Amino acid sequence: MARYPLFAFAALLASLPASAQEKKPPLRWGTDPTGGAPFIYQNADGRYIGFEVELAEYLATKLGRESVLVDGTWANLPQQLNKSTDVEKGVDVILNGYELRRDMVEQFGVSRAYYAYRLALITRKEGGVAGWSDLKGKSVAVLGGSVAHDHLNKHHPDADIQPSEDVANVMKLVNDRRMDATVQDSPAAVHFLKEYPTLTTVGESVKAGYYVIYYRKADVELGEKLNAAIADGLRDGTFRRIYEKYGLWNDDQQELLPLLDQPWPPEMESTREANPWPRLFLELLKAAWITVKLSCLSFPLAVLVGLGVAVGRVYGPKWVGVPLGVYVEVIRGTPLLLQLYALFYMLPVFVQMFSPDLAAMFSPFVCGIIGLAVNYSAYEAENYRAGLLAIPKGQTEAALALGMSRWTAIRTVVVPQAIRIVIPPVTNDFIALFKDTSVCSAILITELTRKYNELYNFNRDLIVQLVFLTAGLYLCMSYPLALVARRLEKHLGKGDRGAA
Amino acid sequence: MIRVSEVVKYHGPVRILDGATLTAAPGQMTALVGPSGGGKSTLLRCINGLEQFQAGTVEAFGHTLVGGQPIPQASLQKLRRSVGMVFQQFHLFPHLTALENVMSGPVHALGKSRAEAAAAAEKLLERVGLKDKLDSKPANLSGGQQQRVAIARALAVEPSAILFDEPTSALDPHMVGEVLAVMRDLAASGQTMIVVTHDTDFARRAAVIHTMADGKVVASGPPDAVL
Repeated sequence: MARYPLFAFAALLASLPASAQEKKPPLRWGTDPTGGAPFIYQNADGRYIGFEVELAEYLATKLGRESVLVDGTWANLPQQLNKSTDVEKGVDVILNGYELRRDMVEQFGVSRAYYAYRLALITRKEGGVAGWSDLKGKSVAVLGGSVAHDHLNKHHPDADIQPSEDVANVMKLVNDRRMDATVQDSPAAVHFLKEYPTLTTVGESVKAGYYVIYYRKADVELGEKLNAAIADGLRDGTFRRIYEKYGLWNDDQQELLPLLDQPWPPEMESTREANPWPRLFLELLKAAWITVKLSCLSFPLAVLVGLGVAVGRVYGPKWVGVPLGVYVEVIRGTPLLLQLYALFYMLPVFVQMFSPDLAAMFSPFVCGIIGLAVNYSAYEAENYRAGLLAIPKGQTEAALALGMSRWTAIRTVVVPQAIRIVIPPVTNDFIALFKDTSVCSAILITELTRKYNELYNFNRDLIVQLVFLTAGLYLCMSYPLALVARRLEKHLGKGDRGAA
Repeated sequence: MIRVSEVVKYHGPVRILDGATLTAAPGQMTALVGPSGGGKSTLLRCINGLEQFQAGTVEAFGHTLVGGQPIPQASLQKLRRSVGMVFQQFHLFPHLTALENVMSGPVHALGKSRAEAAAAAEKLLERVGLKDKLDSKPANLSGGQQQRVAIARALAVEPSAILFDEPTSALDPHMVGEVLAVMRDLAASGQTMIVVTHDTDFARRAAVIHTMADGKVVASGPPDAVL
């Protein structure tokens, strides 16, 4: 919706009488609008604003092209440069606080720096961390795959680092005492400290590097034009005006001017070890263990709850059955991701009103297990309901005729048979759940997929190997499971069929 | 003593039992014969409360069911512990072995220990000639063997009477004999039984035969008088 005005504007331009100017293709710039203020965000009318939006518009105007925003996820947008511009969501450049990094420079064309940023350690004014040296064992949120993330990995490996995908939620978590601190680029820090008066920066902010624009290596001419436009913008004070508008101007930016006369990009030493594979593999393996734990703890819960719900729906009175039916439909009918968000970001806020201690227990891992268990319980309930309904009525009658109570008949005769019938679909769901654990990365759990994303961010040249390694690990986990299930099916199913 | 008086049962608009009345004396075998659709099986199911009925009464060993009234679970359970049932389709529990099937009543309905129930179940299976099939699952037993397990299962809760609902109708002809032999043995030992059957030869062994048609008991008496 936010893009309608842009389209309208484009349509208006197109309808104007042809000017003398030759019609050029638009400048498609990739950005992640969820990355947040002050880079890019929506104002009250739903229009995108932010210092980078204004930069993009300035650059496009300089190039005599029209600025077109293309949205994507921050970590994956660089991949769009490997495709051509005319694919869906294709881009000419990516402009979204991308840092000057050796691994990126090796792959893509890089513009002159347009902003010098620092890393700020943000925490609560009261009860937060004392400084950079106080991070040991503290939960510290950071944008996954960013230089800030790399910085934490290298200099504060003993901190409890929680990679996240957005900044706004993380600030709130720190504010709500559910995280100890967060490390953010200085522009984000400036913006969010205005929004959260309870938060502050502590310690010296770390001088980290420059924001640059990346483009395809082949687009040499585009690169030259971008550099010329950036140089003009820096020299004539246009950038300063934009930065001041957002409170981002500082002395660091003065250094960008002399840099314009230096060779670019500067020499950067490789930060990677000679053979990264032992470390990468170990990190993936650790993350795979988190995936295993998430699955193996949540699925039994899902099965138990699901069985209870199914029994309640099939045999319970209406006042039990109807609410349970609503439960199943609501849980089945809404996305797991949304349920996890609700559980992790909203529920604790609600619980906090009654018991702060209880709210503190909603760690990402606990929320992940509860979320997966609740989500899958709805599917398991349907499996078991089908199983219960498939057991012939004569079975219950035979049990009743022996003098069993209705509940005993259900428990000892019907349920055990129903469980056996639905082993195949239930196993199927377990394997599906294994892979759905990846959704938990949205609530700051570094499971296998999240770890893959993080590693590939720092090792973009190894993407193919990492994809296969990660997929292989998933397969190593799910295939044995399939084998176990098949044996279970054979073992429990033996001699069960055929007798009515 | 089982006494059925003026039982009326509707299935939707269809009147299945139309004032059926009969008695079954203890220690005797009572047979229920008559054309299909006459209401024999339905009447049997009313006696141990598997079917509800709209009017009339069923009395069995001190328990009374009154038509048209809701019956509490607890009293149904008590009644069923006095009146067991053997089904046409056996309805053995397929996930349990023969021994476990026979044990299920004593363990889950009477609350006996597994050891006690197992010992008793073994004796009962021996009595119906299946000592060597204790650990077989129903799917690995023939129809005749399954029905004999079902009889042992009904006996295991030591009911005062057992209702047989066409116990040999689902069997291949060559298996009918083994089941009837077990039932003859039971009758001879003084077990109170009501048997719904189409087998007139077997019905002749009963002390009293009731003939049912159109939901009523139309004739009652000793075999020679009725058949």
